[in-house]
Amino acid sequence: MDLQALLKSLEETGVAKGIRDSLFWFPVLEAVHVMGLALVFGSILVIDLRALGFASANRPFAKMSEDILKWTWAAFVVTAITGVLMFVTNARVYAENTFFLIKMVLLALAGANMLAFQFTAGRTAHQWGEGPTAPPIGKLAAALSLVLWISIIFMGRAIGFTTTGKAVEAAPPPASVDFDDFLGGGGDAPPAPPAPGPAPAAPAN
Amino acid sequence: MEKFAQWLSTTGPSVFIQQHEAWMIPTIQSVHIVGIGAIVGTMFMMTLRVLGWAGVDQTLGQTQSRFGPWLTGALWLLVVTGVLMVVGEPVRELVTVSFWVKMVLVAAIAVIAVAFRGLLRKDSDSGATKALAVLSMAILVCIILLGRFIAYDHVWAHILPAGKA
Repeated sequence: MDLQALLKSLEETGVAKGIRDSLFWFPVLEAVHVMGLALVFGSILVIDLRALGFASANRPFAKMSEDILKWTWAAFVVTAITGVLMFVTNARVYAENTFFLIKMVLLALAGANMLAFQFTAGRTAHQWGEGPTAPPIGKLAAALSLVLWISIIFMGRAIGFTTTGKAVEAAPPPASVDFDDFLGGGGDAPPAPPAPGPAPAAPAN
Repeated sequence: MEKFAQWLSTTGPSVFIQQHEAWMIPTIQSVHIVGIGAIVGTMFMMTLRVLGWAGVDQTLGQTQSRFGPWLTGALWLLVVTGVLMVVGEPVRELVTVSFWVKMVLVAAIAVIAVAFRGLLRKDSDSGATKALAVLSMAILVCIILLGRFIAYDHVWAHILPAGKA
């Protein structure tokens, strides 16, 4: 199965259809995605600023990461699930969106950067963690982490602005639907047949 | 309010943002989200501490002096970017129900935050402190939801009875 066919089959799943056909699900997914990423970024900010010695410099690094990182991961799971659910509603459009592709690369880099931190400064955190700052390699990873996550937020917002209204399935509406009447603006038009449910919500900016 | 929004959209700063909206609006919104991240992160850390779930080696007063300034800083970032969004797209913002409900909640959370800060400075480890922390987080969640819903207010107006008039 090639990629386009796979993406199309994702769009045709019941979940994807259900979200597309609802006026409320996509906005709710977006909002929960924002809450999740706010907690991911906000908690990483606390950790990175600690490693850089800009804040909480008097607290042991190991204790702070133990307190915080479990919440970061929980929030990341929420953000990833809502992200996947938004993706499947319009998979082929997102998959060819430049900002989406850059965002995925940046996410991979952020993951690699996190691993690099773990295997370098992370291993000696019990030593330097009592002092105010991480060793240079750890500070570099912390600074890189902030740049990557802020860039990821910018890319995410750019995706919304460049994919809106580009629905893959743009089937023409049945000729029997009177849109003037449907939108409450009908004057002399004869009563239309029962409306086929609300129009799918176009993701807004 | 619609007249005010129309007038605002003809002012110099608004016209400037509109002329450069292709990059300015997404950029301002992204910075706004970065601010949301900072505020959620700090509020969350303070709430965890108040509930005794994290950072218990620090007193409430120490927690306040660590996170309080960041909370205030993030709030100002949100106010500045928020005002820029209103100036840039007055009609999109000011004529929506979501925007005004959000503003009421922002005012409420600001009042609560001042009371909360007072309790933390006194190291008051009371039920009231815990209640204010949890209440603030709940209001913050509603504020974020409403912030996103501003973009959909006009979509929903077509199906909500109140918006049909």
